[in-house]
Amino acid sequence: MAGKEFLVALAGQPNVGKSTIFNILTGLSQHVGNWPGKTVEKKEGFYVADGSRIKIVDLPGSYSLTAYSEEEKISRDFIINERPDAIVLIANASALERSLYLLAELLLLKVPVIVALNMMDVAEQQGVRIDVGLLEKYLGVPVIPMVASKNKGIRALVSAILSLPRWQKEYVPSLADISDDHKDMFTELSDILEEHISPPYLARWTITKIMEGDPDITNKISQTIPPDSWSRVQAILREHEDSLLAVVRGRYDWIEGAVKTAISEFRKGQVFFTDRLDDILTRPIFGLPILLGVLAFIFLLTYGLGLPLQQVFESMMNSLASRVEPLLSQSTLLRGIIVDGLIGGAGTVMTFIPVLFFFFTAMAFLEDVGYMARAAFIMDRFMHVIGLHGKSFLPFCLGFGCNVPAVMGARILESGKTRFLTIFLTPFVPCTAKLAVVTLVAAAVFGKQAFLISWALVTGNILILGFSGIIVKKLFFKKDRTPFIMELPFYHKPNPRTIGIVVWKRITVFVKKAGTVIVIFSVLLWLLSHMPGGEIDESILGFIGQSIEPLGRPIGLDWKMIVALLSSVIAKENSIAALGVLYGVGEEGIRGILPNVMSHASALSFLVILMQFIPCVATLVVMKQEMGNWRWFLSSFLFMLFLSYLSGFAVYQFALMAGI
Amino acid sequence: MVDDIVPLILLKEGEEGIIHSVSGGRGFISRLASMGLTFRMRVKVLRNIGGPLIITSNGTRVAIGRGQSQKIFVKRLTAARKKAELT
Repeated sequence: MAGKEFLVALAGQPNVGKSTIFNILTGLSQHVGNWPGKTVEKKEGFYVADGSRIKIVDLPGSYSLTAYSEEEKISRDFIINERPDAIVLIANASALERSLYLLAELLLLKVPVIVALNMMDVAEQQGVRIDVGLLEKYLGVPVIPMVASKNKGIRALVSAILSLPRWQKEYVPSLADISDDHKDMFTELSDILEEHISPPYLARWTITKIMEGDPDITNKISQTIPPDSWSRVQAILREHEDSLLAVVRGRYDWIEGAVKTAISEFRKGQVFFTDRLDDILTRPIFGLPILLGVLAFIFLLTYGLGLPLQQVFESMMNSLASRVEPLLSQSTLLRGIIVDGLIGGAGTVMTFIPVLFFFFTAMAFLEDVGYMARAAFIMDRFMHVIGLHGKSFLPFCLGFGCNVPAVMGARILESGKTRFLTIFLTPFVPCTAKLAVVTLVAAAVFGKQAFLISWALVTGNILILGFSGIIVKKLFFKKDRTPFIMELPFYHKPNPRTIGIVVWKRITVFVKKAGTVIVIFSVLLWLLSHMPGGEIDESILGFIGQSIEPLGRPIGLDWKMIVALLSSVIAKENSIAALGVLYGVGEEGIRGILPNVMSHASALSFLVILMQFIPCVATLVVMKQEMGNWRWFLSSFLFMLFLSYLSGFAVYQFALMAGI
Repeated sequence: MVDDIVPLILLKEGEEGIIHSVSGGRGFISRLASMGLTFRMRVKVLRNIGGPLIITSNGTRVAIGRGQSQKIFVKRLTAARKKAELT
């Protein structure tokens, strides 16, 4: 049997430990990309054993296989079109009913299924005992008990996959039936439809889907069968409007049978750890202060540990630059591109890695132990007001670190419109780089009041995020109510491996963007600011700045500040470097010179605009990619330009009047 | 006694009910069913003080918006009926 190739799909509802199992099986062979043409992550990897190679495709998490969410459609299309050798369904032993629902759907697709019954330890703790042998017999599919968090059962799962050719011949799974009162309807439909259903679609599955009212399949079938047959089908469907319930009922009858057969002991009503903790954490009076406390702690930790390291990285970059510089002394162009563009631009961005590392680790920890779902729950009532979902809270939190993973994090939102709105608003979450600029400028210009100013700017941005949400919702999504259904997983011990992989992924996304997009744009910016004159005031950028200076007057910005703002689009902290160059003092002298060249009113206006200005190119690129739509992207772009100008104007005029 | 069928949102914290019916689109009904929330299932309300509700059913806990919980109708289980169910 050596040398065989297997294609295995990993399926499972959220919170069953699917990614843990995927990570154990595939380790470093993982490849993460996107499903073709979709903004849904595709993860695949290999497991090699006994000379056989198992290719594992992680199907996007889904509760069922309906056509109502993109993830679920991708999963089922993959199974139907690619026909993997086997599907491993990860089930949660402590909530077996629910996991079996997805199994009932999968079995209809006629690909051999192996049930990996995970979290056996949790079930045991809760007094749920499962007789694996009886369950296997009832379902007619192999069942492997597992505790993936402790690495138990992996070997058994692998050998079940490898011995597939042996058991496949005798594989006869039990299938869920339609409930009795609708069996006739099923027969009537299959009499009409059977001859028109051709591979890769299977008759029983297709008819069940039509009874469920699946829009996708219904549409497909309506186009392939003769019109008179189709009108007969429609008549039957009209007659039985409750056919979806008949399908669901049939599945739950089947599930009940399994539970009755295999679960031998069931104690109810015990107070679990989760109950106790939730009693406190989900009560708004305690939950909200605790949430704010947790976040405050994370920020303190992140900056306390990250900032010193960032300074170390910075000095490393500087010494690298000073070492490279002499080697390139012959050519100013080359020196500019490499030292100022590459090292100065992309290098500075890289110095943010320590801060991001601590921040993302803390976030991943909270996600892994199950706290983030509670945070989303607590925040839902506030998010609702601005047309969002409690779940939007997670991407926003990530945004304080870096907007790039935050925009990508919006993928956890199922509804397209909520996802769009979350992405639209994410740039208003001030990232570490923005905060760095604000802190520096505020400290230079306002001295002792700097902290107050920075605090007011951050608060202001969050308020603006809220108001923008309300406005956009009022204008575009009037009728749209955002349904909120979210599972609250049980609290559990953190798994370092899972956390590590999440952090690694988020950081690499950031590094890749910095390494490609930002390098290109940093070099481009250097060229724009040094060509043709050699100095920035005789350059294209300087020319642009000078020619739009009249626009800056009402908002209190001279052309140098405008250019600094424009260069912040490469990466926020570039604006500091630009100011240094423009005022001819270099980055070090900036603290000394700023109070002389920026009035308080101008500085305020500059900071307010910077906070709301279009984000850096890396974020822009990801926004476009995740929105997948030029119209939305451009409207968000223009919105930020307009809003920042307006707020700058308001703040500047107010400051002048108030005599600040 | 007449069956006391009410939308889920009217259950107080700690009260239980048996799902009687769900109104709304097929997408909504399918989603609930796949999370174990379908008719004949027993649910308990853990949290219901403004904002979304937290309910639990068969070892799964789910946060669900107020709008959605108006569309799920349950037969309220009173203390007396709970006892009757057990015997």
